[in-house]
Amino acid sequence: MSKKLSALTIVLLFLLSMGSVFAGGQDDGDVKPIKFGGVWPLGDITGAQASKAAQLVVDELNANGGLLGRPVELIVIDSEFNPEKGAAAIERLATVDKVDFFVGGMSSGVHLGQIPTLKKYKKVTMWTGAASHVAENAVGSDQDWYFHLHPWDYNQGASYVEGWNDIAEKYPEISIKKWFLAYEEGPFGSASFEATKTLFADMQIDGEAFQSAAAGGGDYTAVLQRAKEYDPDVFIWAGYGADALPMMEQAKAVNFSPALFVGAPPGWPSDFGESKLAENVTLYGMWAPSLNIVSEMSKKFYGEYVTKYSEEPATYFAPLGYTSIDIIAKAVVIAGSVETDAVITALKEISYQSPLGETISFGPANVISNQGFRQQKILQWQDGVQQVIWPFEFATAKPTYPFESWK
Amino acid sequence: MSEAVQRKKTLPYIFMALGIVILIMPFFSGPYIQSIGRTVLTYMILAISWDMLIRSGQLSFGIAGFFGLGSYTAVLSAVNLSFGPFMSIIAAAVIAGAIAFLVGAVVLRLRGMYFAITTLALGELFKITIHNWHDFTGGPNGMLLPKLAFDGASIPTYAMMLVFALGIIALSEYFKKSKIHYALTAIRDNEIVAKSSGINIYKFLLIAFTITAAIQGAAGAGFAQLYGFVTPESSFNANYTLIPLAMALLGGMYSTWGPVIGAVVLGVLGEFLKLFIPYGHLVVYGIIIILVLLFMPQGIAGLVSKTLKKRGESYE
Repeated sequence: MSKKLSALTIVLLFLLSMGSVFAGGQDDGDVKPIKFGGVWPLGDITGAQASKAAQLVVDELNANGGLLGRPVELIVIDSEFNPEKGAAAIERLATVDKVDFFVGGMSSGVHLGQIPTLKKYKKVTMWTGAASHVAENAVGSDQDWYFHLHPWDYNQGASYVEGWNDIAEKYPEISIKKWFLAYEEGPFGSASFEATKTLFADMQIDGEAFQSAAAGGGDYTAVLQRAKEYDPDVFIWAGYGADALPMMEQAKAVNFSPALFVGAPPGWPSDFGESKLAENVTLYGMWAPSLNIVSEMSKKFYGEYVTKYSEEPATYFAPLGYTSIDIIAKAVVIAGSVETDAVITALKEISYQSPLGETISFGPANVISNQGFRQQKILQWQDGVQQVIWPFEFATAKPTYPFESWK
Repeated sequence: MSEAVQRKKTLPYIFMALGIVILIMPFFSGPYIQSIGRTVLTYMILAISWDMLIRSGQLSFGIAGFFGLGSYTAVLSAVNLSFGPFMSIIAAAVIAGAIAFLVGAVVLRLRGMYFAITTLALGELFKITIHNWHDFTGGPNGMLLPKLAFDGASIPTYAMMLVFALGIIALSEYFKKSKIHYALTAIRDNEIVAKSSGINIYKFLLIAFTITAAIQGAAGAGFAQLYGFVTPESSFNANYTLIPLAMALLGGMYSTWGPVIGAVVLGVLGEFLKLFIPYGHLVVYGIIIILVLLFMPQGIAGLVSKTLKKRGESYE
């Protein structure tokens, strides 16, 4: 037999022997740990930081003697931004690792594929992502085990309307009558454009699609030129993190400087703030390190994260990941059990001071019964720092207006 | 009887037994393995269908397009016409096949990269149409299937995909033994010689393109029945073109068993790596594919065949 064929045989035997790896869970000795199963896209900064933040809580719980005297374990599986992989991860966590709770989530598309599997097991689930109302419809009503932290798309839209109206009222010099939306041509951008048109129906709105750098595009000059001719009060681009810097560079190149330059990607590049081009760019988000000034929980979370990982959390999915474990752990303590019904009852009654600033409790959304956060925040890059400018109760700075002309 | 002849007789049975064990194992291994198995079988079906067309020398990048078209047909037929799972899969195959037939009648005049790029553009065209047809397709948000096949139960859905995959394997093998195979091989080897031998090139290419597109559409319908939703982004994802292609290349092209082996190896390997290298497994996965393609350009099946031929045997 040739060497290559021998090697191939060994590989095949190796693959067959993997059955034990796939089939077997871990034996943790006498004390059975309380297990959390997390599914995030680990190749993306949102999922990577959310899972790391979730691990922070687990470490903290174990350092303090665990939960109900039992050690706590977090098993994280990569969803790979793929519905099949995301669903398989839930199957594994439920049947092989036998976790007590599910946490995780970022993309709506992946979540849609996971929902039938989650419904099969009906374990307490604390979801950090998926904003699409279609995912909410897929979960359906009467699913008491399902808790959703991230605001739904209609929650987000409503909070933008409220936020901009509040800002315009408080700062009369800020005009928000004429809007231009540059949106990536995928579902995220298109949905943002449709939602903006509906939500701001009483305003003057125009828009044009572009191909995101994340999808092989990256030339925004045509759309920026068109926006420049339209001369909006507010220019918003809805794309991905990869579009952030090239968008600003090309805006500078075509000398386009609207009074309000707003970016609305789900996550920003971690080094975006270091660029001079970031100055006075407004953005949507749920959290920024500047919240440490006004929120003790944010400060605690931030300090622990930086100490453990020697990096700054750059996305709001990090505090959401932290919240997902922390809030269940607190409910388990209140319930005195990990039994599903007892934990659900405790979660429904809980008032949780989150690292995102807000104190949340769960209540009904349009379809599901347990919705956590309902609001986004409006932030602005000022001197390399994301400052909160709305809601005013969490504001860390006043808005800088207008966006400065390019020099 | 010589030792070589004896081995030649027993080797297919050994491979067959190994294959049966791999295919039956998920029935006894719980929902997780069944879930992985369903995914592997879906990609296996796509890889075989891609290979069936490449046997004519025509490189298609349109797998994701027909897969997505099939997914949408399944959901739309279930929502609007109350089709059950089986009927929706049939409808998806018919629609994808019919569209491929109509489009193929035009684009199969093209060859090489021109044909490949056209099939890629075709997929994008389907995606953009569905994306913008809000009232009918749900637009960018997609649609939900009212009811999953077998209520999403693991064993029957795995069995459904297994029967589907076995059917495609049988069809591919039949293809290989039929006159279509000889016609397609002749076209791949030398189109002018094939034509001068009386082969109706256009007819055979159109048959192959239509059948493979129908298979891809049915696979997409199977996906929709398993996961209960469609969105333009998920259903037309480029992975449905790239992964089956990588599987066929890794396993070995121009055969049924190459894509089958490639699908099992890559599908299992991807999941295995993820469990051991949660952060960064995709990098290792990519490196393995590159190394295998560099050092085994004929794929695993090609390597096995070459080795056996050296010893005076054939694996076929």
